[in-house]
Amino acid sequence: MSVAGLGAGRAGTLRRPSAGGPGTAGGSARPTKPRTGWKSLVALLVVAGITVWSAIAVGVDFGALIENANNASNTLIQLVQPDYSFFPQTVPALVETVQMAIIGTAVSVIIALPISFWASRATNPNSVALGIVRFVMNVVRSVPDLLYASLFVTVIGTGALSGVFALVLFNLGIMVKLISEALDGLDRGGQEASLATGATWFKANRQAMLPEVAPTYISQTIYVLELNIRASTVIGLVGAGGLGMLIDKVRTFYQYHYLSLIIFEILVIIVLLELLSSFARKRLIK
Amino acid sequence: MNDPHSTPETSGAGIRFEHVDVTYPNGYRGLKNVNLQIAPGEMVAVVGLSGAGKSTLVRTINGLVPITSGQITVGEFGLHGLRGARLRQLRSEVGMVFQSFNLAKRTTVLNNVLMGRLHHTSAWRTLLAAWKKDDVELAMQALERVEIVQKAYANASELSGGQQQRVAIARALAQKPKVILADEPTASLDPPTSHVVMRDLQRINAELGITVVVNLHFLDLARRYGQRLVGLRSGEIVYDGQGADADESVFESIYGRSLTAEDVLPETTAELS
Repeated sequence: MSVAGLGAGRAGTLRRPSAGGPGTAGGSARPTKPRTGWKSLVALLVVAGITVWSAIAVGVDFGALIENANNASNTLIQLVQPDYSFFPQTVPALVETVQMAIIGTAVSVIIALPISFWASRATNPNSVALGIVRFVMNVVRSVPDLLYASLFVTVIGTGALSGVFALVLFNLGIMVKLISEALDGLDRGGQEASLATGATWFKANRQAMLPEVAPTYISQTIYVLELNIRASTVIGLVGAGGLGMLIDKVRTFYQYHYLSLIIFEILVIIVLLELLSSFARKRLIK
Repeated sequence: MNDPHSTPETSGAGIRFEHVDVTYPNGYRGLKNVNLQIAPGEMVAVVGLSGAGKSTLVRTINGLVPITSGQITVGEFGLHGLRGARLRQLRSEVGMVFQSFNLAKRTTVLNNVLMGRLHHTSAWRTLLAAWKKDDVELAMQALERVEIVQKAYANASELSGGQQQRVAIARALAQKPKVILADEPTASLDPPTSHVVMRDLQRINAELGITVVVNLHFLDLARRYGQRLVGLRSGEIVYDGQGADADESVFESIYGRSLTAEDVLPETTAELS
């Protein structure tokens, strides 16, 4: 409070000569630089305060980390020694993870495209429909992937199918958010011109907005595929198929040599996909 | 120049403004009691300062700006309260050219011109981009008329400003319109290109008999290309007459001050004198 008061007071005194000086012609005098530094300071203090409060509440204890290091050393030694002979047994799960990611991505991005046009202010003139779609999508997006997976495992049973359903819903939320926001930011000239030729909103969006959003759509599809590889390893932990299920198995039996191999495999896939996606994006968006 | 395929089955429609008022939602009055009669096949230039209501006037003709009271008649359509399918039908007969070209940049020139055929294309054909052969032919002819057909399969973003505006004119032509509206079509172009675009519009008006209403900021362009000149000042018509008759006192009444060098295109003054 005192900081704010001081800042405002100083700005007031500094402003006086330029604004009230009788000799200054309107607009010709250089303006004084606005004093906004105190605002940043306040914001920084607030953020720092919240961080410290969170750390205390969670009970961050760096000492414990060092104490437990001795217990962990055995595990760590095993983890840096992956057992490559286990590789053939991981292949089916590895393939399943990739397959789940691909199917999940394909289904979700196809469904997401029309919904995105529905969820963007730029392409949907009906504010009631817009509100409904946005609300539903916010709910869909707020559920984490692991929760979707647990839900489908309960309903459908363990296996890759549950995993695919979980991924589809998880992706849908992300994809609709990203694409509808991309649509919001587009130049709407072509759409206006289409509407002026007597086209319906549907036709105008198809003809003028779809080509404009297409590169973003493809690039986000690759991003979602990348997310899915990562997510499909995690959702397996609750029984939704793929490498995650294998991780859960070897972890239960403390087979850290095997676990480290699986982690290494995931790393390789993600790095490969990252290279592929950055290459594809570079070619798409010029 | 005149290709036999596109012999004018299109001819102009008349436009009549009767006591037209436009009040925007924020209370700003765009047009005040405007009365104006435009004959079929006429070329009219609308001039005035920015904010005088030029854009509003042009945009009421195809219903992009709804009128608050009065009536506008375009051909057989009355615009007051016109909505839905009837409004789209009117719009399909009125082409529009915009200041910032309004092309979809990431698609081909041909696809942009085909926008002019959307009204006559079913939703599923639009979705699958399954254009009828006749419509593609019509689009190509429109591109030929503005002499840019060689760019048909280029992306719109690869074109210069003048080329983009000619594509926009081709799009309007592909509608087979009865009226073409142009909202400051030269404001984003350099002086020589401005003349190319204005000559295209003039030629279309003369050859096809399409009624053309064009907003212009520069007076000399208006005087040169508008058979008729309509002056607007704060939403009211303050001049309506032959472009050639508009003298110094007329411009004073439109602009509220005498003419300066800033009101004419820099290079045209040299060209004209």
